[in-house]
Amino acid sequence: MISGNWGMGRLVLLMESLVAKDLKVRYKRSVLGFGWFLLKPLFSMVVYYFVFTRILRFGGAIPHFSLFLLTGLLPWNFFSSSLSAATSSLLDNHRLIRSIYFPRMSLPAAEVTANLVHLILALAVLEVLLISFGHYPGISLVMILPALILLTMMTAGIGMLLSIGNVFYRDVRQFIEVLLLAWFYASPIIYPLDSIGVDIIQSQKLVQILKFNPVSGFMEIMHSIFYAGTWPSLWCWISLGSWSFAFLSAGIIVFRKAEPIVVKEL
Amino acid sequence: MKPGGILMKNVTLDYRLYHDRAVSLRDTMLNLFNRRTRVEKFRALDDVSVKIDPGESLAIIGSNGAGKSTTLKILAGIYRPTSGTAASSGRIASLLDLGVGFHPDLTGEENLMLNGAMLGLGRNDMKKLVPEIADFAQLSRFMDTPVKYYSNGMFMRLGFSLATAVNPDILLIDEVLAVGDVEFQEKCYRRIWDFRKMGKTIIFVSHDLEAVSKLCARAIWLHEGKVKMDGNTEDTLSGYLESMQKRHTYTTATPKEWGTREIWFESVRLKNSNGIPTRTFGKGESIIVETVIKSRSATPVDNVVFGFSIHRADGEVIIGTNNLEMNQSLICIDGSLNSSIEIILDIEEPGTYILGLALTDPEAGMDYHWQEYFYPITLIEERKYPPLRLSRAVWKQE
Repeated sequence: MISGNWGMGRLVLLMESLVAKDLKVRYKRSVLGFGWFLLKPLFSMVVYYFVFTRILRFGGAIPHFSLFLLTGLLPWNFFSSSLSAATSSLLDNHRLIRSIYFPRMSLPAAEVTANLVHLILALAVLEVLLISFGHYPGISLVMILPALILLTMMTAGIGMLLSIGNVFYRDVRQFIEVLLLAWFYASPIIYPLDSIGVDIIQSQKLVQILKFNPVSGFMEIMHSIFYAGTWPSLWCWISLGSWSFAFLSAGIIVFRKAEPIVVKEL
Repeated sequence: MKPGGILMKNVTLDYRLYHDRAVSLRDTMLNLFNRRTRVEKFRALDDVSVKIDPGESLAIIGSNGAGKSTTLKILAGIYRPTSGTAASSGRIASLLDLGVGFHPDLTGEENLMLNGAMLGLGRNDMKKLVPEIADFAQLSRFMDTPVKYYSNGMFMRLGFSLATAVNPDILLIDEVLAVGDVEFQEKCYRRIWDFRKMGKTIIFVSHDLEAVSKLCARAIWLHEGKVKMDGNTEDTLSGYLESMQKRHTYTTATPKEWGTREIWFESVRLKNSNGIPTRTFGKGESIIVETVIKSRSATPVDNVVFGFSIHRADGEVIIGTNNLEMNQSLICIDGSLNSSIEIILDIEEPGTYILGLALTDPEAGMDYHWQEYFYPITLIEERKYPPLRLSRAVWKQE
């Protein structure tokens, strides 16, 4: 097989360069720049806050409901932006892919990583907000590191699958938008499952079902360590861990298999 | 294998060809949901075996669709053969699509660093190379300018300098030498010649048979995915040319016109560079194709590709290109538009040729309006003095 010598060092540099490019390009000629990554969830927070405390009124049961919303909305924003960007990453770079060889898996992976950089910065801002409202973090805050790693693995895996799918069927991009909408409401973002000691959902059976949602584990980890300042439940780690390994390995295997075909289809 | 060597063994490569052929409205509706009705295999390369030694300069010739570019893409590692093996050793530089990895919003230097990473170069190596690349491209002053402000020529120059800066063992060239102005083109050729002299392996795909015969000692003629001839350039070229002539004496080119006519050529006028309508053009004179294009669509249509082709009188395509391929701005039309192409040709063989025009959108698979074999033009060589030059005369006595 003909290809350059792509050792680990080169691969890391490639990823770094792609991520840096993404960050630079995204905010060229934008006044608010990175601010948008915070503003988008902040706007949705305001909307959901009014809907769920003034109209539907269940949010009233959760103290500082807006902060609670924000702990879930930030990682969700990461998840959905990463998937949308990763989905079109191969098609958007079709000329490049067809004219030089480089590990193409880096394209969806870099989109996810660029969003991760944003998420980490946004989480830092969130932590400041939480402390100023009296939600002090516990030692459990250290657990954000493994949780973020697992979430990134999962998102990258799904992103790889979607990027391949989108080359064969452009419908994937439309489909993922609809899917993300449904997925959002099926995830513990505007409501908790069992992380903060407030039961919003009456049916225990429904709670058990919702725990199978791949992002439920991460969202509940977020609620526990950021909002409640407690240690996340074990089920969160089991769920997040298994989904991450499942999606990442499926993503890598499918991508490897499909790559030679995809290059010709682009 | 020594660095610079290439070995292709029984390489076969299949593409999948999709046909959406909708015959009736019902079919069209069904196709909405089941678009890819027929999938066909298209064999781009069929059992190709080639061994290239380090330091060889090899040309690949053949008509369009013969598999030349596919071969290069396999050698560059972009395509994996469907069956068979392709192996090479040493660093490869591919000049397939210059500057394709450049992002318009990044500066020249940022783009070089990014592309270096894509080519698998280390950061320190790249830092050392940047001034060299900038210097060769004559763009040192513009390294902190976003490349979207570069002219087309500057863009291509940077692409060429980058692609050849990596000191490759193998150089893959796909007809890209139309880079920048004449002066820079010469510089490019000189660099390629330097590589040749240094004993680097060169694989050159071109329709420019003169350039091929100058640069390459060996040539492979591909025909419909198979190696038809492999030998020294002279033999292969004469075999190729002979078959081309045979093939084309039987066809005659009659004007053909087709397309959806959602966007169409309302009028077309050919003028010379002084603005005088004519069909006869001299050496170095621009052919200006002035068109009025109209659109039926209520909304502006963009990404329209405007192409032209020039055929021999018997229909053989000599040149065929478009604004997309030449990296120039695509057409956006809202109702009506005056658009023109300025074509400047190097006339190697004077005579009568036929110009064709097309409006398409390849991305959407749309053919708006084709006018093939439509506008006959006569290309003349200026009279030279002296018209003859004595090459040799020998007197003998027995």
